[in-house]
This record gives sequence, structure tokens and C-alpha cells, in this order.
Amino acid sequence: MSRAFLVLALLCTGLLAILLVHSVIPSTATPLAQEATPIPNLSISDEYCSSCHGVPGQTFPLEDGTLLDLYVDPLEHASSIHGSQGYACVQCHADVGEYPHPPFSATDRRDVTLQLNVVCQRCHATQYELAMDSVHATALANGNRAAAVCSDCHTAHAVQDWVDEDTGEALPEARLVIPQTCAQCHNDIYQTYLTSVHGSALAEGNPDVPTCIDCHGVHNIEDPTTTTFRLSSPQLCAECHTDPAVMSKYGISTEVLNTYVADFHGTTVTLFQHQNPEAETNKPVCYDCHGVHDIKRADDPEKGLQVKENLLTTCQKCHPDAQENFPTSWLSHYIPSPENYPLVYYVNLFYKIFIPTVLGGMGLLVVMDVSRAMINKSRRRKPAPQPEEQAAMAPVEEPVLAPLEAEELVEAEAAEPAEEIVSIDDQVAQTSPTPATDAQEPEVDRDLSGEDNDEPASSQTTPEDDQPGEEVNNG
Amino acid sequence: MSEQPMQTKTDSPPVQTVRVFKRFSLGQRWEHVLLMLSFTVLLLTGLPQRYRDTGWSQQILATPDMVYLVQTIHRIAAVVLILEVIYHLGAGIYQMARRKLSADIFITWQDVRDAGQMVAYLLFLRKDKPTFGKYNFEQKITYWFIFVGIGIMVVTGLILWFPETITWVLPGSVVPASKVAHSTEAIVAAIFIVLWHFFHVHLERLNLSIFTGKMNEEDMKTYHAREYDRLTGEKAGQDGGKQP
Repeated sequence: MSRAFLVLALLCTGLLAILLVHSVIPSTATPLAQEATPIPNLSISDEYCSSCHGVPGQTFPLEDGTLLDLYVDPLEHASSIHGSQGYACVQCHADVGEYPHPPFSATDRRDVTLQLNVVCQRCHATQYELAMDSVHATALANGNRAAAVCSDCHTAHAVQDWVDEDTGEALPEARLVIPQTCAQCHNDIYQTYLTSVHGSALAEGNPDVPTCIDCHGVHNIEDPTTTTFRLSSPQLCAECHTDPAVMSKYGISTEVLNTYVADFHGTTVTLFQHQNPEAETNKPVCYDCHGVHDIKRADDPEKGLQVKENLLTTCQKCHPDAQENFPTSWLSHYIPSPENYPLVYYVNLFYKIFIPTVLGGMGLLVVMDVSRAMINKSRRRKPAPQPEEQAAMAPVEEPVLAPLEAEELVEAEAAEPAEEIVSIDDQVAQTSPTPATDAQEPEVDRDLSGEDNDEPASSQTTPEDDQPGEEVNNG
Repeated sequence: MSEQPMQTKTDSPPVQTVRVFKRFSLGQRWEHVLLMLSFTVLLLTGLPQRYRDTGWSQQILATPDMVYLVQTIHRIAAVVLILEVIYHLGAGIYQMARRKLSADIFITWQDVRDAGQMVAYLLFLRKDKPTFGKYNFEQKITYWFIFVGIGIMVVTGLILWFPETITWVLPGSVVPASKVAHSTEAIVAAIFIVLWHFFHVHLERLNLSIFTGKMNEEDMKTYHAREYDRLTGEKAGQDGGKQP
């Protein structure tokens, strides 16, 4: 009886567990993305859409009273990267379904764009995420509705392929279009850029020069006004300017970063870049001297920094007291050589020779000194002299005196505490070059009186000093 | 004449006479302390600025505030050192002009001969060390090496401190040249102090006379025999002041 119950209970709990697991798994496995963007109904063909939207004149009234043009040129879509690869209208416009469409409302034309923009992430999640980190997304979040979203740069229905599938780099034709794309909003900068060494070369079809995105990035465009951007900007310039393959074409040195980092300004900037990217520093980065969007050739007569007057003007932006000679205190990206900055070169050369010869020579003398002292010591130990011999040897070999004198001193103190210390001041000793024996006593006196500054102090610290002669002998 | 009375009196009780020779004035001793302190501070605040590409330096100079602080301490210590140099030169010239300071510190041909004899001794070409005056040639090298070094450091340091003003007069390239000289000379001076000065005053023998101002008779006889002879009129090598 009880056994049958047990089996039944086990079966019941087992069934319950299986049911539970099954009911949980499908709900967690449901892709969230599908809930966010509805599954496109692929049975709705592009022809079906263009039967209405392919006919000009269709409009939709928005809340602000403007009319939204609903016409989409079928050829424009067909020639876009999406159309040419067979993507259907409903793959982006997934929630509209068949006609009649579900209700739609937008305050104005921009609101429509912002509402429809989210559909891009269904396929382009990576780029969409990056764009959400951009300065544009931040501006949008802060209420600037004009801040660029996907379709502002890529268009809605005429999206073009800008990337080389194999390299992941922008296609050459895309590079020409990029500045124009940015110019839709940033026209002032674009016009300045066109006059720069980079922009004018790009207009001539040169693929080596940077476009906007090479410095600012593509989807996660960074705020270029932060200290972080500023401190890391030299590395940006260095990406091309330390590349020998590119620079050799134009005869530009690839040492510009090294020489910058080695000099006053770059050392500090690089230090803060690594240690403290938020640090505000007044030290210039590349673009503070060379310009930002208006970068000119180094020999440009108006702005080029090879022209002495232009360089001085640039220096004076931070060094208002700078005069004519000041600009050459900056090595101008040169590595000192006999031709360029010979003074610096020869000072450096001097120390390269001086340190090994002079300091090395001194080191050698010290080593010789130590070894001779050690050899002397080991030689002296061998004879093991008798006390009588020590006394005899004493005047000849000075160091042997030391133990003897110490002994003697101890004995003398034990027998008679009277110890006499005679100070002989030598400060004016040169006035008495002949060691006249009878002149010795007054000599000492005069010396002491001659030292105005030191006498009180030495008499305080060592009263013995005050005893000029032998009179105070307690013995 | 300090010898005669002592010998007469030591007939019955033995008396040990220790004679002490004055070597440096109080002013000179203080100058050395000031030099030591300013040199140390300058070195400690200068090295991180010199080796900015190393990790330990970047730990110290991580923020603009720290760079400013380290530079400020460096410049305060520099001003102290410059004032000390001005005092040193002023006092030295004044005292020498009034014959209160001997000219022993200047290098003479005797020092060149001494150095030659010392090298010969170290190469076992001579049996005995040469005898020296008040300052031996090694001490004179120390003084003049530091003297010239400080001169270079002060001049180049001021150029680096006031580059705009300096280039009103001098060509701009003195600034980067000063940077090379300042940072390299600092290392030279530091190595020199440790290698040469520390060896001679700590390892070879402990010589604290720059702090006490005095030197005892044995050291005078052993290391400055010529000066001992000149002051006492005795021959140091004959063990004049000692009783066996």
C-alpha cells in the first residue's frame, strides 16, 4: 500500500518538475529583440508597397500641420545597398503591415526620423551601439533634436555601400563623400577643411589624406573638446605621420612624434595622457601649433611654421614675452646634428665623452686606491710584529701607529685624567710661513682673535679651544 | 712653541696631549650643510623631471598639481643654492682680500705633481703616498668639480626657468642645449658625489672635519703632513708630538 503511494507521489513530482522546466525554458528563450521590433511579414512584397508609395503625391498630416511626403522613388531604393541585395520594405518598416496601417502619429518631420531610426539596430546592432556612445547621441539625449542619427548620414532609402568588404576600410569613393556628409551640419568646419593641406588634397582625389572620420571616428564619434581627446590627439596624428609608407611619398619626417615627446611640451602631454587623462594642461598638442581643421603645409607663407614669423606668432600665443630668438628654443622636430642645432649636438657629445673618461677615470682611481690599501693591509699582517718592533716601526709606517697610540692613550687616561687639547688655528697661518719656534705662541693668539665670526661658537662648543698654551696642565 | 713645556712637565705623571687643528670656520661648516641640503632636495625633485618616461617618475608627476609642486620645490632649493653661491664667492673674495682666508684651495703645480706621485704609488711605482698640504689634490678636485658643476647648473637652470627673457639676448638654441646640459650635469654631479666624495670622506677614512671644523693630530700628520709641518714647525714623519 504505502509503496504504491510512494511511487505515485514520485511520479507526480517528476511530472510536475518536467512541466515546470518546460514552462520556464520557452519564456526565457524568447528573443527580446523580436519583442522590441516585430517580425517582418515577408509575404508583403515591395510591389504591394509601391502601389501606393511609388506614386508621387501621397502625404500624411503631422501634428504641427506639416505634410509628410510618403513617396519613395522605387529606383532609389533599388539602387541602394539594401535594394540591390533584395531587402524588402517591410524588413525595416516591420510594424506597418498591410493597408490599412496601424495608427501613427508624430509631432513633426524630425520626430518621424527619430521614431523610425530605431529600426536600424535590428541588423546593425554593433554600429547602432557605437553610435549610442557618440557625441551625437549625447546631444540628442540632452534635447538637441538636430543631432545626427543613422539616416542623417546614411539616408533612409538611398543607403550606399561605403566599406570595402575585404579590408573593412572605407572605399576611396566614400572618402570623398564623407566630408560632404558631415558638412550637412558642420559646414563652417568643412569649408575650413577644404582650404587645409589635407582637405585640398582630398578634393584632388588623394586617398592618403585624412577625412573627418580618420580623426573623429565613425559611429562612436568622441567629443573633441575633452581633455582626454586633447591629450591623446598626438597619437591620432601619429597614426599617419609615423607611417613611413605614407610619409615617404611626401618627404615628411616620421620622427615628428618622437621629437615632440622628447621635447618640453610633448613630455608633459604624454605623461598626463598615460597617468591622468582628465588633466588640464597648457602644454600644446600638435593642433595647437599646426592648426586643427586649417592645417597648412609647413612652408605655407601665411601659416606654415617653417616661416620664422609664423612660428613666432604661434609661440606668442602661449609665450607673450617671446622675442625674435625664442622660436629656435624649440627644436622644430629636428634631431640635433652638426647641421641642425649644433650647440645642442655638441653639448650632448661633450657629455658622452666626458662621463666615461672623467668619471670612469675617477672610478678607476678609487678602485686602485682600495686595492692598494687592501694589499698593504694583507702584507703588514704577515710579520706579526712584537711590541718592541711596533714602537721601532712606528715612525716609518704611519698606520701601525694607530693601535699603539690608542693603547697609550687609554693608559695615559687611566693613570692621569689630565688631558690637554691644544687647538691650533691655521686660518692665518700663511702669514707666518716660517715655523719660527718662539713665534708659535703669539701666532695662535692672533689667529683666534682674527676670526670674528667663529670664535664665539667654537668657544661655546669646545671650551678647550680657548686654551691657547700649556698653562692649564692639571698634572 | 707648544712642545717644550709639555715634555718638561711629563716627567712624573704621564700626560697625553691631544692637539686639535682648526680646519673649517663655522661659516664654512654651515655653508656645507646648506649645500648638502639644497643639493639633495634639487636632486630628489630633479630626477623625476629628468626621467619622465619611467614608471616611478610618472607615479610622482601624475597630475599638473604635482608637476607644479615638484618644480616649485626645485626652484626654492635652487634659490637657496644660488644665495649660498653668492655668499660663498662674496665671503671668499672678501676674506682672501683681507688675508683672513688662505688661498690653499686653488690648484697649483704641486697638486699636479702630487696626483702624479699618487698614481705612481697606486701603481706600486712608489713605496709611500705623497704628503699633502691643507687640501690634498683629491679634495681640490672635489671642490672644483662641484664648483664648476654648480656654475653650469645655475646658469642652465636659470635659462630653463626664464627662456623668454634669456632669448632676448641669446640665441634660442641655448634653451635646448641647457636642457641637455642641466639634466646630464646633474647626473654627473650625483655620480661624482657618490663615487668620489663619499669614498674619500666615508670609506677611505671617516673625515667629519667639515662638520666639526677640527682635525686631530694623527689625521693631520697622516693626511696633511705638509700642513702639519707648516703649522707646528715639526716634521710629521718624525712623530714629533708623540711620546713613545
